[in-house]
Amino acid sequence: MKAFLRSREAVLILLLIALLLMAWLMEPRFVTIRSQMLLASHLWELAIVAIPMLLIIMIGGIDLSIGAMVALCGVVLGLLFERGISPFIGALVAIAAGGFLGMSNGWFIAKLRVHPLIVTLATMAAFRGIAEGISLARPISGYPDTFQTLSQGKMVGIPYPVFVFALIVLSAWFVLAKARFGRWIVAIGTEENVARFSGIPVARVKMILYTLCGAICGIAAVLLVARNNTAKADLGMGLELEAITAVVLGGASIDGGKGKVLGVALGLILIHETRQFVSWHWKQNELNLIVLGALLIVTLLVERVLSQTRAFKMPTTA
Amino acid sequence: MKAKWIGLSLVAGLMVLGGCSGGAKEGDTASTGSPDTGNSSKKITVAMLPKKKGVPYFTSCSEGAQQAAKELNVELIYDGPTSGDPAEAAKMIDQWIAQGVDVIAVSPNDPAVLGPAMKRARDAGIKVITWDADAAPDTREFLVNQATPEEIGNSLVDAMAKDLGGDKAAGEVAIVTAALTAANQNEWIKFMKTRLEKYPGLKLVGVKPSNEDQKLAFSVSQDMMKAYPNLKGIFAISSVAFPGAAEAIKQAGKTDKVFVTGLSTPNDMRSYVNEGVVKSVILWNTKDLGYLTICAARALADGDLKSGATTLKAGRLGEKKVVGDNVMLGGTITFTKENIGDFDF
Repeated sequence: MKAFLRSREAVLILLLIALLLMAWLMEPRFVTIRSQMLLASHLWELAIVAIPMLLIIMIGGIDLSIGAMVALCGVVLGLLFERGISPFIGALVAIAAGGFLGMSNGWFIAKLRVHPLIVTLATMAAFRGIAEGISLARPISGYPDTFQTLSQGKMVGIPYPVFVFALIVLSAWFVLAKARFGRWIVAIGTEENVARFSGIPVARVKMILYTLCGAICGIAAVLLVARNNTAKADLGMGLELEAITAVVLGGASIDGGKGKVLGVALGLILIHETRQFVSWHWKQNELNLIVLGALLIVTLLVERVLSQTRAFKMPTTA
Repeated sequence: MKAKWIGLSLVAGLMVLGGCSGGAKEGDTASTGSPDTGNSSKKITVAMLPKKKGVPYFTSCSEGAQQAAKELNVELIYDGPTSGDPAEAAKMIDQWIAQGVDVIAVSPNDPAVLGPAMKRARDAGIKVITWDADAAPDTREFLVNQATPEEIGNSLVDAMAKDLGGDKAAGEVAIVTAALTAANQNEWIKFMKTRLEKYPGLKLVGVKPSNEDQKLAFSVSQDMMKAYPNLKGIFAISSVAFPGAAEAIKQAGKTDKVFVTGLSTPNDMRSYVNEGVVKSVILWNTKDLGYLTICAARALADGDLKSGATTLKAGRLGEKKVVGDNVMLGGTITFTKENIGDFDF
């Protein structure tokens, strides 16, 4: 229990409670189920790509190309639809395309051993450029209502994307907590060479994670296109930074080896609620931009204070 | 010691945050607390969404809107994505739905993206209107329409004729449009052709597309000056085509030999107007557009503006016509070297 109180999760929960309390005092309407349901509908694409980002950061990697992959997958879906192909088939192709894009990232990183920051920085520009090129930067819209229900439809009052998110979160949690693959991830992130010498197929793990990340970006693209009713090359702009922020805010170490699904989920909720509240109360959309940075700083400060007070007390009690 | 400092700075940070919120709250209650002397009794909240926040054109619209909001006891939220990203705009509409504003006035950057959010707003009992640009009719009740195609067509032709010698204007003229499929532009061209009949000396020799590409507008204008050596005037009827055509004339050294006019904002064309390359820039009055939008929102919320209405009382603008589901602003303004200094947008 004591250990939990000092953990990042506890800090995030503390901040979240403080925020909601403040919101409830200042804008009671914000803290209602109806408002929260409405506001949450724009969160899910970020939420589902944050999970593979966590796994990649845990092996000491990074993927800056996720926003661009979302754009390219979305444009693929749009262009197929424009040629008269059912958007549902287009969606499957888009997810497959995402997997392929992720795999090409993985190939450079795992087989050619190029630093992931450089590889995905390059593919971030390349994928976005291809998306703009093949779509001529036009918006492609007019999808049938049946397709739009993919992101707007609900089952027992819960929107479909939530189920997608839940599925991804639970699998990630299971893999990290129970599966051998999860132990491999931690081992690679902690000390890659040790992991390699102890027989862990490092390259294969990397390939799998980057490919998976691409495919999940494909899923996010499908949901985004279905929700916006438009595929366009500027889809998912800046998504990578938001995802990385959520992961780091959730307590994952950017050097790898450490991270929790629960932390990322809490980080996501905290980012989302803070942003929504700030633009709700101050009614200035551009404030959204500074919230991400401010949140990260406040979280680190709170954590620092908590751990410092402990360090400060220790000698006096000893 | 170190911990204390961090603790202190954190407390200071929280106090700043608290200070901000306290200040904002005071502002809020002050504005809601002051009863307006106007006849609009109940305060309503109107959320006004521009295509892109921070663009001089829309900022100038918001100034007019702010003025109307003061007069009509309206709390105005003027906010939009600084990136112009329609998905971001849809997010904001959802937030306004949750806040329960009374009216949402949208200038849709992409009607397909904003449509579903606008429908959700209507389903939640919020009045939705469009301004500046329209969306599908089932996503809004009224459009506040800045100018009729006929007025725009007439103003363009009249401005050109004035430059070329008034009623006796003579010479070959050409049109550089957006895309050949652009609906707005085609409407204007239709009325321009009708208006051109009033000036028998003017002969339209071609309509060329520029596909919203300034470089293409530049080269198309160059080509036409070569192909028609007697070309006297170019109508560049998109905000992208206009500077392209003006630059072509400037570089060809044909200032005062070939005239160009079109639709744009004063800021975009200011240097060309001051240099004398462009004599007149046509646009509607943006402040009045914002003003009328808030008037329409207020009237809609009060039930004074319903389908079938033919007029709308619009404060300092007087009575405005309502045609079908369009509230007409009407009237264009022409920016020239003499007055362009008075406009900053």
